[in-house]
Amino acid sequence: MIDHMAGYLKRYEPDDNGLRFQDLVYQGNFKGMEPVPDGILGDKIMRQRAKSKVLEKVSHQDVLRDNFTIDELNDLNNYLAWNIWDVLVMRATEGVSGMIPRQEYEILAFMHEFYRWPEILRMTNDEVGAQAIIDIGKSARREIGTKVNCVHDWCIGAVGFGMGRCGLLALEVIKPQDFVEESNIILKFMQRVLWGKRQDGYILNSQDRYRCLIHDQDFLDTLTPQLEEIEAGSEKHDAFVRFNATAELLAFLDHYDCRLGLGDTGPYPLPDGKVLIVRDLFCNEEVYHWSDVCDHEKVPHAYTMLVVLDAAKMGLEEIRVNDISTTFTRPKNYIPYITAGAVFVREKWNTPMSEVYSVPIKDLAPRLHGVQQATLKLYTKTSRMSRRQLITNGMYDYYIEMILPHLRLAGTYEKACKEYDFWEIDHRISDYYYDITKRGFAQATVPQKIFSGEGYLPFPDNVDPRRSKYFWD
Amino acid sequence: MTVLAEGYNAFETPKSPTGVVKYLGDPTAVIALISSGKLQDHIILAQGGTTTFLSPALTMGCLGVITLSGAPESHLGILSREFQIPCIMTAYQPNTETRYVTGGNNDEHFKQMIAALDGKKVRLKCDHHDVAQVLLED
Repeated sequence: MIDHMAGYLKRYEPDDNGLRFQDLVYQGNFKGMEPVPDGILGDKIMRQRAKSKVLEKVSHQDVLRDNFTIDELNDLNNYLAWNIWDVLVMRATEGVSGMIPRQEYEILAFMHEFYRWPEILRMTNDEVGAQAIIDIGKSARREIGTKVNCVHDWCIGAVGFGMGRCGLLALEVIKPQDFVEESNIILKFMQRVLWGKRQDGYILNSQDRYRCLIHDQDFLDTLTPQLEEIEAGSEKHDAFVRFNATAELLAFLDHYDCRLGLGDTGPYPLPDGKVLIVRDLFCNEEVYHWSDVCDHEKVPHAYTMLVVLDAAKMGLEEIRVNDISTTFTRPKNYIPYITAGAVFVREKWNTPMSEVYSVPIKDLAPRLHGVQQATLKLYTKTSRMSRRQLITNGMYDYYIEMILPHLRLAGTYEKACKEYDFWEIDHRISDYYYDITKRGFAQATVPQKIFSGEGYLPFPDNVDPRRSKYFWD
Repeated sequence: MTVLAEGYNAFETPKSPTGVVKYLGDPTAVIALISSGKLQDHIILAQGGTTTFLSPALTMGCLGVITLSGAPESHLGILSREFQIPCIMTAYQPNTETRYVTGGNNDEHFKQMIAALDGKKVRLKCDHHDVAQVLLED
């Protein structure tokens, strides 16, 4: 079997540069230099261009150190900008939603995060200490149905720092030398969580050829006995695939059409040459008032799908579990090559792992019905909301949700709410609400700045790392 | 066979559904189609490549989807793959010059595409790894 293993294993050889998943290339802050492609080759080039060692494997002591140098901040800024482009540039062609004004809520949330998160993350770090932040990341290694995952952890830096700062620079309300100290706080928090989760010295999946192999083998061994063989074309295959898709759809809808409802890890190689993806689908987030329809249908916090792919039969050439927790393959369609699966339920975000249970595929029908009904009810509810309500809800979905899992585990969520007005909207952002639709700011200017990489201006070389004030005209 | 439109193929599939194209412009139209019980008669045409707008149609199992923007990496591209619902994205007419421009004003292009596709009986051809076609059925 191994002799006939699909070509995807070549991707893990040191000299291999991977496939190109798109024709576009990235320029960013490297004007006058060769543009950078996507994928493994793009990662190599971006790391070669770094001035510091922050994009290589870093040590525990490096991560415990409270402050990045300016070169390290700029290297992280440049790398995250490329990484954002790598995972999102093609998605960004999708245009307006027809229901949820996503571009509008996104840009407001980005900027809000950059303004508000630093004091909340610093408070959390002060409350529990740097090692505990690392341990929060580490906790994901032995849990399923946890939102301490790639996409949430990545969002701390890529969205709250990267896109937030980019948006504010584009709006010309900050300058490149502003908020250096706050940027350090956000990026250090991200680094600690991701480093603790991966435990291999890297922080991002793109640094490891798009692998997120975080689960310990003895933990996986507690899950895989529940795998059921599935024959392509069988009713069982259809039932499993349909449930996966339907739950994934509700996860997107509950999270306002964003990737926060989805969390893949893997690809874990199996002894018979097949690969395992572990997929969390967060269908009912209790902090959202609109999730009441999910409660009514008894939809749990998360369904976790174990998905086994026959890589050889598929002719798998490359598999990427990217940094927003989504799996893409070449060939694109992996569904017909699912040969085994299992479904687990985590009722609440804090349900102990010992109480997570599996559901046989033959028993999924009533759960499928519940997920479908919740989807229809949530759709109807959402379609009746005003534009203002939708943008406000969407802002919360990003601004609250992206650090909610970490605050919950740190035990600082209540303090953030009560003492730091976590759910309030900063007055500056409230004012920007009226600016973002002018001159195509949300729908054209910001996407162009973000996806060309032009908007991630570096910190000046000689800037004081303690700079924290925004400027006034 | 006349090629009415081409676009990105969300995923490779031998499925080649046939149906009458129905343009859905707002959530009310989506709900009305589901309520009519005729979801299975239609290939859905939507402007955006996002997934929430078409949630009821996807969850209740529509035949196929054509969008005027988006790519396989868009949320609708991902979900159509998961549901195995053939999906052609950023469709354009190969015999015209107009194309979707990200972040641009696409109103005229969308109007032309809706006029060219809405109400036509078509078949989706989605077996190529990159490009898919909307074929006119006689």
